[in-house]
Amino acid sequence: MRRTFALVIAAALLLVPSAPLNAHHAFGAEFDPNAPLRLQGKVVKLEWVNPHTWIHLEHVNQAGAKEVWMVEGGTPNTLLRRGLKRESLAYGTEIIVDGYQTKDHSLKRANGRNITFADGRKIFMGSSGTGAPRDGRDPTEPPTPPAAKKPPGGALIQ
Amino acid sequence: MPIHRASFSALAGLVLLATANHAAAQAPARATAARPASTLPRTPDGRPDLQGNWSNATMTPLERAAGQARALTREQAAALEKGRADVKESGDRAIDPNRPPPPKGGDGSTGAAGNVGGYNYFFIDAGDHVAFVNGEFRSSIIVSPANGRLPALTPAARAWAQQRAARNRGFGQYDNPENRPLAERCLMSFGSNAGPPMIPNAFYNNNYTIVQTKDHVMIMTEMVHDVRTIRMGRPTPTSTDVRPWMGVSWGRWEGDTLVVETSNVHPLQVLSQSVFLNAAFGATDSLRVTERFHLTRPNVILYRFTVNDPLNFTAPWSGELPMIRMDEQIYEYACHEGNYALSNILSGARAMERDSSAVKKPNPKE
Repeated sequence: MRRTFALVIAAALLLVPSAPLNAHHAFGAEFDPNAPLRLQGKVVKLEWVNPHTWIHLEHVNQAGAKEVWMVEGGTPNTLLRRGLKRESLAYGTEIIVDGYQTKDHSLKRANGRNITFADGRKIFMGSSGTGAPRDGRDPTEPPTPPAAKKPPGGALIQ
Repeated sequence: MPIHRASFSALAGLVLLATANHAAAQAPARATAARPASTLPRTPDGRPDLQGNWSNATMTPLERAAGQARALTREQAAALEKGRADVKESGDRAIDPNRPPPPKGGDGSTGAAGNVGGYNYFFIDAGDHVAFVNGEFRSSIIVSPANGRLPALTPAARAWAQQRAARNRGFGQYDNPENRPLAERCLMSFGSNAGPPMIPNAFYNNNYTIVQTKDHVMIMTEMVHDVRTIRMGRPTPTSTDVRPWMGVSWGRWEGDTLVVETSNVHPLQVLSQSVFLNAAFGATDSLRVTERFHLTRPNVILYRFTVNDPLNFTAPWSGELPMIRMDEQIYEYACHEGNYALSNILSGARAMERDSSAVKKPNPKE
């Protein structure tokens, strides 16, 4: 099942023939493609830090034991700019994560390939911007038609 | 599932645009006239006032896709921007809460996602629009050579790239933090954000603060809070042994254009987003970068640059893109303190080494 980020990266590679290899890090160096997992549980801690956010959730494993897992997301700066902050995701919110565990299996850490609420909605939603022309657009030019704008910050606060 | 259809439709659109022959593309009919210089904001000493927060995020790539013209038509630009918007929109949609774990062996994603899929698109902010410069929707940042592509590397640069690749085979690249890329170590921005030249990355935080005095210009790059201090005036010689991050920069005014000349760039700094160059060694002794900052409107800087590095490239290359003023905050990118990723990568390599040696190690009881 293809994932959105994979599509975004693929699209970025098409649009950017020389896309950067050196993003903060290569995910393939950190996470194990042979260790897929699905986690479900309540948020117990948020690390709203650079270079990556880390969401901690309490997951109950197949043996019935509670485990706290850390899930890696992107920079919080982007979310802040969209009006989102740490308080946008309340502790105790039940979330579902699918991703891959770190290559060091002694660590309970994974990438947040998909992070959703228990009903499948995305925790945060993307935004086409806050209205400021900070993306290369000449602000005096008439806009090209795309995309309906969402209100800044699609955060769902529970 | 609808999300996949939408995503693949968007992707298919992008594929078509990226691969179609755009030789017939024409520049928009209406050229953009810059505002009269007399109406632009100025500092007390009469120079154009470049101070403030700026972004150079753009969908326009550094290098041009094969077959494209320098200028995209308005319709082509609109289609590209719609493709980006569709991908974002599909990324926002709800998905199956009963979804299984992703496939064992990886999900097939490529690039920085590295077959494990990265993270949701809401963390990405790579620009929503095609760069618009001098009345043209641009297909590449590079404008010279005329094909919009980086010139060929020299044989020496190719040899360095091979040496580096050989050194990085196996666990060598994970032996210690010093073998990891600068961005992963939180030492320098992604790609060439800070530059020079300052080129946006395809992920996020392509933001800058400029502070200007009569004697100095400071450029702070949000990713990763890299600060360039440009001295104004006649350059004094700097020993080639001195190679700071972002080099040694001197500025001067040519009319209303700030011209910055840089040399002595740190040898570990890469010069572009180029996949191939990132495998090369980085800045050489011969590197000279010339940048031109021209305020065309109160909210737009036309940023132009030329890279001359005869040890790495067989020809100079030049690019241009707009920097757009932001009415938003620049945030701290405190990268070191929370950098779990680097330790995860190194400990992951150690775990794999242990697994590998456990397999090869002879059993003493045998």
